[in-house]
Amino acid sequence: MASFTDLGRRKVRGVGALFLCGLTTAVAISGCRNAPAPSASALNSVVWDSVLAGARSTTVTWLMWRGDPSINRYVDEWVAPRLKAAYGITLNPVDAQGPVILNQLAVERQARSGAGTADLVWINGETFYNLRTSGLLYGPWSGRLPNARYVDSASAIISRDFGQEPAGYESPWGTVQFALIYDTVRTPSPPRTVAELGAWIRAHPGRFTYDQSFTGVTFMKGLMYALDGGVQHFGGRFDEAKYREGSSKVWQWLLAARASLWRGGQTYPDGVADLHRLFANGEVDFSMSNNQNEVVTKVRQGILPSSARPLLLRDGTIANTHYLGIPFNAPNPAGAMVVANFLLSPEAQLEKQKPDVWADGTVLDQSRLPATWAARFRALVADPHALQRDSLVKYARPEVAPQYTERLQRDWRTQVRSAPRE
Amino acid sequence: MVAPVLLGIAYAATGAVGLTGIGATGFSLDRLSQVLAERTVWRSIGFSIWVAGAATILSVAAAACAAIMFRGRSVTNRIARALAVAPLAVPYVVAGAVGLLILGQSGYLARLAYAWGWLTSPDEMPALVYDLRGIGVILTLAWKEFPFLALVAFSLLATRGSALEETARTLGAGWWATLSRVTWPILWRGLLPAGTAVFIFSMGNYEAAALLAPSDPLPLPMLTLERYVALDLSQRGDAYVLTLVALLLAVAAVGVHEWTRARAEIFDE
Repeated sequence: MASFTDLGRRKVRGVGALFLCGLTTAVAISGCRNAPAPSASALNSVVWDSVLAGARSTTVTWLMWRGDPSINRYVDEWVAPRLKAAYGITLNPVDAQGPVILNQLAVERQARSGAGTADLVWINGETFYNLRTSGLLYGPWSGRLPNARYVDSASAIISRDFGQEPAGYESPWGTVQFALIYDTVRTPSPPRTVAELGAWIRAHPGRFTYDQSFTGVTFMKGLMYALDGGVQHFGGRFDEAKYREGSSKVWQWLLAARASLWRGGQTYPDGVADLHRLFANGEVDFSMSNNQNEVVTKVRQGILPSSARPLLLRDGTIANTHYLGIPFNAPNPAGAMVVANFLLSPEAQLEKQKPDVWADGTVLDQSRLPATWAARFRALVADPHALQRDSLVKYARPEVAPQYTERLQRDWRTQVRSAPRE
Repeated sequence: MVAPVLLGIAYAATGAVGLTGIGATGFSLDRLSQVLAERTVWRSIGFSIWVAGAATILSVAAAACAAIMFRGRSVTNRIARALAVAPLAVPYVVAGAVGLLILGQSGYLARLAYAWGWLTSPDEMPALVYDLRGIGVILTLAWKEFPFLALVAFSLLATRGSALEETARTLGAGWWATLSRVTWPILWRGLLPAGTAVFIFSMGNYEAAALLAPSDPLPLPMLTLERYVALDLSQRGDAYVLTLVALLLAVAAVGVHEWTRARAEIFDE
């Protein structure tokens, strides 16, 4: 495994050198043939204008999750035309999620096919961890984006990705916080804590479930914090003993609730979209989302009833940031940087946060923004379906090392899903 | 033609023994024995064989019935034949989604039953999707494979049936004797290769399974993908082993087909 990683690092340096070579040619600096591996400072020394020049009239292929129409509309109808007009960049969004991105890049490197196919990837947490440790990311680069100076780097949730230092290998794009979703008409007084939720599930058989995809894992991680000493107990590096103890409490909780889950816990919705459908059709009384504002957009789209509201459990809910990375073999890293920088602009971040658009939280610090932009962020009309910012901050809990997520997902399948029944 | 297939098999085989793929750690048979020792894997294999087998039997039976019932030249028969073949044009994803829409606990069937007072609440609807017996997947697969088999059955009777049946009738065979001794043997022998193809295809079908199957036991194609995209990289190699298992099952099905064919008297020539 060590040689595998080293090979990746060398390759990253090689591509970086090539890229630097191209850039410096553009600004007519000679002697780059034997350029040393570029450090962050070397890359930063290339003026941004030359990056812009290198990006003009290029295509940027962006691997991203394409499962949400609101996000697609923002990218296709708002971002793409502006990139074309301002930078001459053609945006080419392609559907791919974390594990698929990792497989694709790993296969590309195995095939040693030279330049890759993707320029920009939408990632976080365990995908970042795996890409980074396998040397599949280009960088460091994010610190040199002109708009990086507005980023809320003091926030623990933005500056660390699942406890990892992004170290310039990914640029923050948005923040979200986990919330349960309930219907005020069907459930006027919902449970407010993990303990109350457990009691509610047993008192209402068949009316609760969780999905077996990313959102469900976040739900389980929240349970683990709540049942075993809080997030601080799991801080730092992955600890097998702590994981075993914490996860066994989660399995206990979930197995105790299993018989009272939807379909008696014999089957689980595949992804969160299926869970939303069950909730909207009245088959269950709760849904959940990794984005507390998803209720707002889904209500406006008519997918969820207007009496749907987000709910934060007082034990705390997980907040995290999603990022943009550049693959080690990106054919157009300059274009990717320009796109990432545009997505980090106050203009693009504000549009993204609008409840009608996507309602994805900004990663910018309003106190660092020019006054006019700060005022526009503050003026975003509060939607009655949205949660108050102070309660969000109060209950926000950061992510822990990505191995907790990996193991919870894997072990749930044997410890809970196919656990024998009495 | 064969080269890409062989290449794929070779890649899966090297992946299964730890030589290629993410998280490859060098040659070892540990992964093979670990995966094949998992209860989850065997439940998955069993479920997939059951679902594919039931769907194949249902669709073969339906195709044979349709061919026998609507073999005439009348307008009604022609319309029936055209309608029977129509679902061929429906993509599998659509078929799965329609299955969900009709059979789900909040689906049309449940709503109709509720409206007619058969159910006091929609969740009393028996589980026909995501159910442990795989009823939803079986019905969808059978509906989707029926037109393909019907097409084969129609042409079998049209090209082979008449002459042999007329001969039987002239020799004094009654309706039942003709059906059981002439028509049915023509049909089942002719449908055997197509039915085998349907069985193998159904076992590997992802779309219907993803939309309608339960999460435990998980159908084999879904279990394979789940491992291939697992967050825990050490599980990804399992997918190669599962691919080889699926290949073996397909080869076994072809073997059974050949064996049956060799034993059955062929009255082609």
